[in-house]
Amino acid sequence: MKRVFISAAVLATIAFAACNSGSQHEANADSSAAVATTPAATVTGDIKTTGAVNTIVDDYLKIKDALANDNDADAAAAGKALAAAVAAADKSGFTPEQQQIFAANEAELKEHGEHISQNTGNIEHQREHFAEMSEDVMELVKTFGGGRTLYKGHCPMYNNNKGADWLTTTSEVKNPYMGAKMLACGSVEELSK
Amino acid sequence: MRMAKMILLLLLLIVIGIQFIRPARNRQPGPFPADISQVYALPSGVQQLLQQACYDCHSNQTHYPWYASVQPAGWFLQQHVSAGRRDLNFHEFAAYSAKRKQRKLKHMREQLISGRMPPDSYKWLHPEARLTTVQRDSVIRWIDSVLQ
Ligand SMILES: [Zn+2]
Repeated sequence: MKRVFISAAVLATIAFAACNSGSQHEANADSSAAVATTPAATVTGDIKTTGAVNTIVDDYLKIKDALANDNDADAAAAGKALAAAVAAADKSGFTPEQQQIFAANEAELKEHGEHISQNTGNIEHQREHFAEMSEDVMELVKTFGGGRTLYKGHCPMYNNNKGADWLTTTSEVKNPYMGAKMLACGSVEELSK
Repeated sequence: MRMAKMILLLLLLIVIGIQFIRPARNRQPGPFPADISQVYALPSGVQQLLQQACYDCHSNQTHYPWYASVQPAGWFLQQHVSAGRRDLNFHEFAAYSAKRKQRKLKHMREQLISGRMPPDSYKWLHPEARLTTVQRDSVIRWIDSVLQ
């Protein structure tokens, strides 16, 4: 009889722990702003600025490659990294204009990253988020620079011929909206810097 | 036979035990100065519809059904509410960037038309969230008037 009680207690503890980790997760989401204000080492504003957006562009390009390869799991992993990079971005070195552009896109980018990370198995939904994420990253790059030569790809057929853009590092077309179905469909132009 | 009894008893204890693990509820007292009604001139009919069909999962004030007090149903419900509020919170709408506001309205429109929102699982126990075509169209017309 005693053993029954003990195992019941153990099980209840496990359930409680599981529940706790759930609420902790939520608290994390809410306190992400606190994480972002972690003071950085003594580097100049410019370097820090490039750092935050650079990481976001890195993760974005990983998502782009994963979607072009129809790889939902890799897209999810990179989406998670992007959401984390947005939350952890050190904004202290931003110019007022950069702050404004970042603030306008911050919540959106984080949400897109999170949804892409949560939708393994639903690549079409990942692509929906990727389409808007591309608009957001493009806005960031316009103000912050992309830290590398970037090209803008365009897929005219996506979303019932409404079309969608993406950013890429090569002039070769590898369409992240179509994947293997129509990998070479679309056009690419160099972004004016 | 004794074994079976023991297992049943154990299960009973677990079921009772988990009833004491209650997630924090989404019941902020208000007022909510960042409510969407502070951003747009919402027709009162549309505001009413949003409140009755959307606010349980997309605001800071959820009206909990009785089964939210029964675990584990309450846990799943709370997770659902948390996810909903993260994506769209009408009580915080004024704090969104201009772009986010526009996108949220655009997505609302798409989801209303596709029928993805309100979700079937919610409508099943919440008849007030089952919008008629006329009601749905009134919300869509309002969104169009804002987005145009
Ligand atoms: Zn999503």
